Amino acid sequence: MLRMKDVSKVYRTEVIETHALRELSLEVREGEFVAVTGPSGSGKTTFLNIAGLLEELTSGTYTLDGVDVSSLDDRARSRLRNEKIGFVFQSFNLIPDLDLFANVDVPLRYRGLSRTDRHRRIASALERVGLGSRMKHFPAELSGGQQQRAAIARAIAGGPKLLLADEPTGNLDSAMAREVMQLLEELNAQGTVVVIVTHDPEIAARAQRNIHVVAGIAADLERGPALVRAPAGAADHHQPTA
Amino acid sequence: MRFLVDTGPILFSLRRHRTAATLIVLQIALTCAIVCNAIFLIRERLVRMDRPSGLVEDELLRVRLAGIGTTEGAQALTKRDLDALAAIPGVKSVVSVNMVPFGTSSWNSGVSTIPDDPKSPMNVATYLSGQDLVGTFGLNLIAGRNFQPEEILSFEDTAEPAVAIVSKATAERLFPNQDPLGKALYFGSKHPTRIIGVVELLARPNDWGGRDAVGCSVILPVRMAFGPASYILRVDTDRREEILAQVDAVLEQNSASRILDSKFTYTALRRDYFQQDRSMAWLMFVVSAALLVITALGVVGLASFWVQQRRRQIGIRRALGATRGDIVRYFQTENFILATIGIVLGMALAYGLNLVLMDKYEVERLPAQLLPIGALLLWSLGQVAVLGPALRAAAIPPAIATRTV
Ligand SMILES: Nc1ncnc2c1ncn2[C@@H]1O[C@H](COP(=O)(O)OP(=O)(O)OP(=O)(O)O)[C@@H](O)[C@H]1O
Ligand SMILES: [Mg+2]
Repeated sequence: MLRMKDVSKVYRTEVIETHALRELSLEVREGEFVAVTGPSGSGKTTFLNIAGLLEELTSGTYTLDGVDVSSLDDRARSRLRNEKIGFVFQSFNLIPDLDLFANVDVPLRYRGLSRTDRHRRIASALERVGLGSRMKHFPAELSGGQQQRAAIARAIAGGPKLLLADEPTGNLDSAMAREVMQLLEELNAQGTVVVIVTHDPEIAARAQRNIHVVAGIAADLERGPALVRAPAGAADHHQPTA
Repeated sequence: MRFLVDTGPILFSLRRHRTAATLIVLQIALTCAIVCNAIFLIRERLVRMDRPSGLVEDELLRVRLAGIGTTEGAQALTKRDLDALAAIPGVKSVVSVNMVPFGTSSWNSGVSTIPDDPKSPMNVATYLSGQDLVGTFGLNLIAGRNFQPEEILSFEDTAEPAVAIVSKATAERLFPNQDPLGKALYFGSKHPTRIIGVVELLARPNDWGGRDAVGCSVILPVRMAFGPASYILRVDTDRREEILAQVDAVLEQNSASRILDSKFTYTALRRDYFQQDRSMAWLMFVVSAALLVITALGVVGLASFWVQQRRRQIGIRRALGATRGDIVRYFQTENFILATIGIVLGMALAYGLNLVLMDKYEVERLPAQLLPIGALLLWSLGQVAVLGPALRAAAIPPAIATRTV
C-alpha cells in the first residue's frame, strides 16, 4: 500500500537545517493497522505528512498504492489525496462555519461527485460513526469525541484505502479515546489500511504492528530494533547552513 | 468549469459572517448605485458638450463692443466696422448678428402658423442679421434661397420682416410632412412672414425652450447695429489668433469712443459655455473613481482578513483534496456572490437615486443598458481585488492542518 525508500526530509529556514527524516525506509501493506510511536520531535508527524502528500520529501522515493508520487504536480497530488487518503487530526479540524453534513461534504465536492451520490455517502458515513441524527449540528455544538467521530466520517466518506491519523485520541478522555479506537479498528477490519501516530502505549499495543521513529529513523519493532544509525538521546539535529 | 461548485457551502458559511458580509455588500451596492448614476450623468454631459451648432466653428471669431450712450448713427458706424473688418487679410466675411449659439444672450419668440394666435404654440430662437448670416456661419441651406438685399429691414424699422429662413427642426415642428417653402409664420400678429429657405441645423443660443425646442430657430433679415449685436468674422482657421489681435486697432480707427467688450475664437466660446458641464463630468468621474478604489480596497481588506482567519480551514481543505485552483476559485466565487447581491441591491438603489434626481433636477430616466455596464464594472473590480488575497490563500501549505494545534 505504502512504500518509502531512503526518504529524507530537511526543513530549511534562514539559519538552520532540520533533518526531520533521515533515509527512512518502511512499508505498510494492505489490510494493516500500524501504530507509529516515538519521542516528541522525532519526525512522526513529518512522516505522516509525507505519507499523506501534505508535504514533499527532500530525497528518496515514495510509492503510494503503486504510484510513484515524487513526479506529481499539485493537481495530481490533490486528486490522489482526495481519492486514496482519509485524514484524522488530533484537533479534529472540522470547519467551524459548516455543519456536520457540509463538513463531510467537503472532500466529496472536490471529488466532483453527483449530488445524490454525495448525499448518500454523507448520510451513510455519519450513520456509520453514530452521528446520523446530528447532521445539522455545528462542530461547536458537539463533544470532543463526537467531533472526532464526525472527522472520521469525513475521512471515510470518500472510501479511502488509507486512513492516516495523527494522535487522534490526544485531545480525548480515555472513554472517548476507546470509542474512537474501536471505530478505527472496525474500519480496518473492513479493509482500510490504518496508520496512527500515538504517544499512548495502550493504543499502540492494540495495533498489529508498531513502527518506532527516533530522530527521523524508523525501526520496525516486530522485526526487531534497528536503531543503529540513531544518535542516542538526540531527538532532532540542527546544523547551521552557513 | 468548477467555478460556483462551492456556492452552497459558501452561502452557508457567509451566513455565519453576516456582519462583515453585509457591510461589504452594502458598500458594493452603494458604489454601484452612485457609479451607475454618475456614468449616466457624465454621458449626458458629454452628449451635451458635443452638441452640434451647425456652424463652421473653427473658422469663426466673435467680437463684441460695448456701446456708450445713445447709438446715434450706430447703423452707419456698424457698416463701416463691417467693411473695415472684412478688409483684414484672411477674413472671408463679417456679419453683425443679435446672438450666437453658446453665446450669453438669447432672443426668443413665440410663433404660430395662424394669424393673431394668442397661444403661440411654439417657441423659436430668432436670429437677426442684415448680412449673409447663412454664408458666414457656414450653415447648410438645404431648401429655398438666401435673403436678397431688398428684403433686409433695419432693426429700427417698425415693419415686420416679410421673409424668414428657418431651421429644419422648426420646419418639421410647424409643418410636419409638408414643404415649408412659401408657408407663412406669424409672430403674434396678423403679419405673415413667408419661409424662403431651410437650413439643416442652427442651434439655439442656449437651453431655453427645453428639450422639445432643441434646434428650433429662425433667421430674420434685420440689420443689427453694434451694441445689442456682436460681429462674427469668418476667417482662415490658421489665422484666427493673428486676426483677433488686429481687431482692436481696426475698430478703434473707426471710432475711439467705444470699448471692446470681448473677443473670442468660437472654439473658446464653446469651451467657456460648457465649462460647467466639463467640471461636473470631471467631478463625477473623480468621485466614481474614488468610490471604486475605496470599494476595491474594502474587498481586498475583507478578503485578506478572511484568508488570515481561515488559514487553518484552507489547510484542511487542501488536505481533503482541494487543489490550489480550488482555493482561488473559492474566494473568487465568494466575491462573485457578494458582488452579485451588492449589484442587485445597487441596481434598485440606482433607480431610486435616479428618481430623486429626476424629481429634484432636470435629469432623464436612467437607461436600462447602463445597468449591465455597472454590473460588469463591479464584478470585474471585485474579481481583480480578490485575486491577490485568493492567491495568498492558495499558497497556504496543506500541512498547516497537522502543524497547528
Ligand atoms: N515547518 C517546519 N520547519 C522547520 N522545522 C520543522 C518544521 N516542521 C517540523 N519541523 C521539525 O522537524 C522535526 C520533526 O517534527 P515532527 O513534527 O515530525 O515531530 P513529531 O514526531 O510529530 O513530534 P510530536 O510528537 O511532538 O508531535 C522537529 O525537530 C521539528 O521541529
Ligand atoms: Mg507530531
